[in-house]
Amino acid sequence: MTNTASSIEQSVLIAPAVYEAATATIRAEAARLLSEGSVAAVIGYVPGRRAGTAMPAVVTDAEAAQQLVFSPACVNNLTLFLTKAKKEVRKKGRLAIVAKGCDLKALAGLIGESQLKREEIVVIGVVCAGVYGAAADRRAPLSSASLARKCRECSVHVPEGVDLLAGTLPELPRLDPLEAAELARLEAMTPAERWAFWKEQFSRCVRCLACRQVCPFCYCEQCLCDRNRPQAVESTPRPAGNTAWHIVRAMHLAGRCAGCAECERVCPMDIPLNLLNRKMAKELKALYGHEAGLEPKEKGPLAEYREDDDQSFIK
Amino acid sequence: MPKTITEQNLHLLVDALLREGKRVVGPKRAGTVTLYEPLRRGEELSLDELPRRSAKETFFPVCESILSYEKREGRMTVRDVDLSRLPESVLIAARSCDAAAPGILDAVFSWDYHDEFYLERRRRTVIIGLACTTADDACFCTAVGLSPAATQGSDLFLTPLAGGGYACAVVTEKGEALLTAHAGLFAEAESIEALPPAEPAAAPLDLKRIKAWLDANFEHPFWGSIAERCAGCGACAFLCPACHCFDISDEGSETKGERRKHWDACGFGKFTNHASGHNPRDVQPQRYRNRIMHKFKYYDDKFGLTLCTGCGRCIRACPVGIDIAAVLDEINSKP
Ligand code: SF4
Ligand code: SF4
Ligand code: SF4
Ligand code: SF4
Ligand code: SF4
Repeated sequence: MTNTASSIEQSVLIAPAVYEAATATIRAEAARLLSEGSVAAVIGYVPGRRAGTAMPAVVTDAEAAQQLVFSPACVNNLTLFLTKAKKEVRKKGRLAIVAKGCDLKALAGLIGESQLKREEIVVIGVVCAGVYGAAADRRAPLSSASLARKCRECSVHVPEGVDLLAGTLPELPRLDPLEAAELARLEAMTPAERWAFWKEQFSRCVRCLACRQVCPFCYCEQCLCDRNRPQAVESTPRPAGNTAWHIVRAMHLAGRCAGCAECERVCPMDIPLNLLNRKMAKELKALYGHEAGLEPKEKGPLAEYREDDDQSFIK
Repeated sequence: MPKTITEQNLHLLVDALLREGKRVVGPKRAGTVTLYEPLRRGEELSLDELPRRSAKETFFPVCESILSYEKREGRMTVRDVDLSRLPESVLIAARSCDAAAPGILDAVFSWDYHDEFYLERRRRTVIIGLACTTADDACFCTAVGLSPAATQGSDLFLTPLAGGGYACAVVTEKGEALLTAHAGLFAEAESIEALPPAEPAAAPLDLKRIKAWLDANFEHPFWGSIAERCAGCGACAFLCPACHCFDISDEGSETKGERRKHWDACGFGKFTNHASGHNPRDVQPQRYRNRIMHKFKYYDDKFGLTLCTGCGRCIRACPVGIDIAAVLDEINSKP
């Protein structure tokens, strides 16, 4: 590769020491909370068998807390485990959760939607320099080249409003926002080109529903898309059903989506779902001045009527 | 003497098969992923990586119509699918873990009920397998009795050669016939130097021992401890060459529509939901237990076969890092 900005950027390592420091604090605090009995379980990450992997874990004793880690492999948004989709976990009692800044937005959203009370949980906020992107070589240390796209535009490296904070922030490289650039590319297309783009993307969707199952806001016990009497959305992975599924999801998440990009990360077919989410977020900001953020809000823009709402679309 | 074929002639072989009116399915780039898809020409073959979804869809499509209906002037016409019109097919460059799977699935699709949709495609398809020369740390075919060079399930089998091109071994009569019909594209070599097959790091599992543990431990805290994190999606099952659950849906309107067979997965919360509202597998650990039981106990009880070829796809795809090889290892080492 030539000596361009991107090749210079590729050589930028993301300081590994910050993860080690965060790991030590998480272990100590989790062990303390568990042995004091102030929580019944800590939801955190443990290493996976394969190189450069980690996975969610629900830890219930101080000894097991020594397995907890924070590393660039800690990609999951663990707030999923606080929702009613994960009843088994909530049943254990008071919970502590390890949360990156971006995950806290989902927590605020869940509180706003009355799924959870702030005082019911202990939040171990973790200072985060970034996590691996989907195609990253996980045997190599995290660098700007292997960073998840969302982390290139991160504004919440240091989470706020948490009960405990793990880690300190190193100096981070300045990175170009690839996702914003991709969104701009799509916005510049004609509607026909954009339609062709999404049609091609959706053609790979097999309706495995991983995107739904990891989303903290997809906690409905009866998903419209599972209904078959009458069927609301075709449940078969064909063009009509797939398009309907993605439109229903985008609309249902509009103004609620916290932007954790989990849906996109888990899609085994590499469908860039976060572009849809981000587009919806942008529209909602323009139309209603609404942004999903770190403050719990009781009502989202699509669940509330206001006199000054934009009515211009009604013809 | 061993037969060989150059990369270019492999492409010409695909083109020739297409000209004969055959459907040729092989690994092809689709966006950022590689999938087994119908090829339009030989050059589309893309052999460097394991396709993201398995080759099972050659026989068991993601979704297919099994009948159609139409109501006209008060009369309802129901039309079956004419299976005699299914194309003769060649599945080319199926990795060992994918080529082995249809042979395992034949048992369930021809058991008490004969699934003609699946079986007819099987009858009409020739499988050309491909040896793997690279493996990652999710691959564990060697742990379940296969290998990157296993010819099980293939009719012809390709092995990449050190100097480029492939050795082509005949495995079955079906394969022999295909090779003879296109003999001009193959050469005969005095000797060949094959690239060394991949070496997955996984140690062999004692599948009998695992089954014995499963036989005795339907209820065990282990299920909760590993499966609590399961998100209940279908990613593992949908990517798996051996998972074969499907649902049937009628879609369309009152006057016109189709009955469709499409993939389903035991991980889904609604999979076992009864019309009464009762759900016998009402929490995720029970659903994950079913996945393991089905693959390593029930399928063995019924057909004497293991429902996993060690391709590692479910491990790579699982959103919450559930690693079936690690789960099996753990069961294998239980007292
Ligand atoms: S978006 Fe920010 S907080 Fe979230 S994983 Fe990336 S760097 Fe960490
Ligand atoms: S995760 Fe991807 S393939 Fe699965 S349903 Fe969602 S978009 Fe479709
Ligand atoms: S829609 Fe996607 S990005 Fe938004 S909260 Fe759900 S998983 Fe996260
Ligand atoms: S269970 Fe997993 S490793 Fe085994 S064949 Fe299926 S996808 Fe591959
Ligand atoms: S094991 Fe993983 S891939 Fe399979 S259903 Fe559970 S979360 Fe989804």
